[in-house]
Amino acid sequence: MFDIRLGDKGEVVCEGRLDASQAAKAQEFLDALPAPDVVDMARLEYISSAGLGVLLRTQKRLLQAGGGLRLVNANRHVRDIFRYSGFDRIFQIEAPGD
Amino acid sequence: MISARFQRSFDALGKIFEFTRRFYDAEGVPADDRLAFDFCVEEIFTNFVKYNDGNPNDIELALERRGDRLVARVTDFDVEPYDVTRAPPVDVELPIERREPGGLGLHLVRRLVDGLEYDYTNRQSRITVTKSLR
Repeated sequence: MFDIRLGDKGEVVCEGRLDASQAAKAQEFLDALPAPDVVDMARLEYISSAGLGVLLRTQKRLLQAGGGLRLVNANRHVRDIFRYSGFDRIFQIEAPGD
Repeated sequence: MISARFQRSFDALGKIFEFTRRFYDAEGVPADDRLAFDFCVEEIFTNFVKYNDGNPNDIELALERRGDRLVARVTDFDVEPYDVTRAPPVDVELPIERREPGGLGLHLVRRLVDGLEYDYTNRQSRITVTKSLR
């Protein structure tokens, strides 16, 4: 299961497992937002390379407009995947409590 | 070892993760290892889905625990060879302007596992990954 929605403060909330079967859903949601900034990953259990692709496309779009995503409350699995892919150089990514 | 065959579709991932979850529960696999191993299974499975599009055969996934190691074997039937162990390396230090979506899956699998083997016999591509438990 995967869900993506806007939280009470306008942040993007991701929940569940962002795998290849859910990437199109996530991309469609983010593409519809003019300038998302914070993505709360507190309840995002899992991400695969398909999910990384979604975030990279969004980050490229936002950087052209002077913005960018800040990923907060990322669990160890997500942070490991970002570090191994070099995405920790491309995104500001924070662990719970940072 | 347990094994099952899954439809050649991203939509099969839900059933695949249900299959791996039952295996992890039976073998007492810790949570962190489950996520990393699911990642490897997904990347290899979706690699077969993407690069053998149109093949009507299901893809087989076999799972086994050997002591403190997990082994996954993914087999695609009636396909041309593609040796994943020879896939070009990914430069993860490139700036975002030079990064493009895609191509990271096998790079990440290599980082996460202890062994990655490819075998091609009788028009069957078989990828075996081995990962030590943390």
